[in-house]
Amino acid sequence: MKIAQEIRAGNVIMHDKNPMVVLKTEYSRGGRNAATVRMKLKSLLNNSGTEVVFKADDKMDQIILDKKECTYSYFADPMYAFMDAEYNQFEVEAENMGDAVQYLEDAMPVEVVFYDGKAISVELPTSLVREITYTEPAVKGDTSGKVLKPAKLATGFEISVPLFVETGDKIEIDTRTHEYRKRV
Amino acid sequence: MPRMPQLQWDLFCRVVDNFGDVGVCWRLAADLAARGERVRLWVDDARALAWMAPGGAAGVELQAWPDAEDDTRPVGDVVVEAFGCELPPAVLVRIAEKAAEAPRKPVWINLEYLSAEGYVERSHRLRSPQMHGPARGFSKWFFYPGFTAATGGLLREPELMAQREAFDRDAWLAAHRIAPQPGEQLASLFCYQVPSVEALLGCLDHAGHERTLLLVPGTAPPLPALPPSVRVQSLPYLTQPDFDRLLWACDLNFVRGEDSLVRALWAGRPFIWQIYPQHDGVHELKLQAFLDRFDASPDIRAAWRAWNGLQAAPVAGPDRASWQAQCLIWRKALLAQTDLASQLLSFVAESL
Repeated sequence: MKIAQEIRAGNVIMHDKNPMVVLKTEYSRGGRNAATVRMKLKSLLNNSGTEVVFKADDKMDQIILDKKECTYSYFADPMYAFMDAEYNQFEVEAENMGDAVQYLEDAMPVEVVFYDGKAISVELPTSLVREITYTEPAVKGDTSGKVLKPAKLATGFEISVPLFVETGDKIEIDTRTHEYRKRV
Repeated sequence: MPRMPQLQWDLFCRVVDNFGDVGVCWRLAADLAARGERVRLWVDDARALAWMAPGGAAGVELQAWPDAEDDTRPVGDVVVEAFGCELPPAVLVRIAEKAAEAPRKPVWINLEYLSAEGYVERSHRLRSPQMHGPARGFSKWFFYPGFTAATGGLLREPELMAQREAFDRDAWLAAHRIAPQPGEQLASLFCYQVPSVEALLGCLDHAGHERTLLLVPGTAPPLPALPPSVRVQSLPYLTQPDFDRLLWACDLNFVRGEDSLVRALWAGRPFIWQIYPQHDGVHELKLQAFLDRFDASPDIRAAWRAWNGLQAAPVAGPDRASWQAQCLIWRKALLAQTDLASQLLSFVAESL
């Protein structure tokens, strides 16, 4: 059993007796330290989609599926191709990639998730290190980390970083919340 | 839309701290009841209602929090858990029973906190399937108050703006023993803390006028030493209608939290908001989202940030005339929204 805030894109949960792959999650802080998680889901039985929201500490059953360590090979629209250590190739639909595409790099290791023998999604590590390809110049003096500015990764994905972060810096990102963790 | 038959609402509220939880819930309960609904307000600490709403409200039944495990009272047509308060297991069992047995499933709503952030629009009116506990297999719905058309709106009683229009300031002030001198500025102060005397005085200052600061109960002491030109008067606890009128009567209002922010917006007077502080600083993002949403001018941003302890106090407060003009623009934009109670009624009518 997991709680909602532990569920990540690529996980599969049961919803209305339907195995649903989580395509996207959005963690949001409410008032009084409460938090919610919005999820975009897709049925593995009929491909229908839905959006739901949970309290961050709501309990849910994650379906444990087969996973295999693979590396990213290439993209051939609309499929992303991955290869395991025995050179077997698996393809995942772009729509099922969720936010993983925002962090994808050549030969990047991921876990490919299988349902009924078919590759259905990928799971990323909880944290990744990525280089900032562009952000506004650093502001000296503010080291609190509380005031944030937008910064772009090589994929074009934008995240919020503290004012002192500069273009070319490598930062650690929480892939569940897309939040900046630290400069490395 | 055809009028729905009168429904039984169960509104659950846990008081975490201060007056906002029960204040919002009482306003919602009274608003729904005034529109013909029957409302049971279940609250774990109703003490503040003794002064917020001493006369109660027709159609609102106040109930103690249902702690007992063997509580078998059935739930109504609509169950609202305010601010994500956890419902007692016995209530969850009643919800599940009614969903399984009654011809009409109850509509179960989680009424969330007010925020100007973008996620509110994305999460408003989304289903939340329950995967564990007594209500497993049943769903509740997330309902977000907010400042845009894609949210649940704000509490605004149907007669509120007419009352605001007809407000007799002099009579109300006299009835409450508030006697400003000619030309004297009145400011109300309701805050969690005074971050700095400079932040306070910068906003209070207005063309050298004498000022009276009206202290609302609940404002954290101690108040810093103020110059002689600022007279301080402590007010008693006010009913909700009188709190609204205080905001209408003052030239400037310092408000805090969720309920008084909304009432200050409807007052249409210059105001400054102290947001509920959170330990990890997330309140700064929420304050920023509000200022961005309303395209606040740089001087208002600076004053608000200083009043929330997020930057040093500016040398001078915002220009009062343009501040007043912005508050009226904000109010006008919000008046175009459908109010929260109306949106809840529509949502329930669609869902039943």
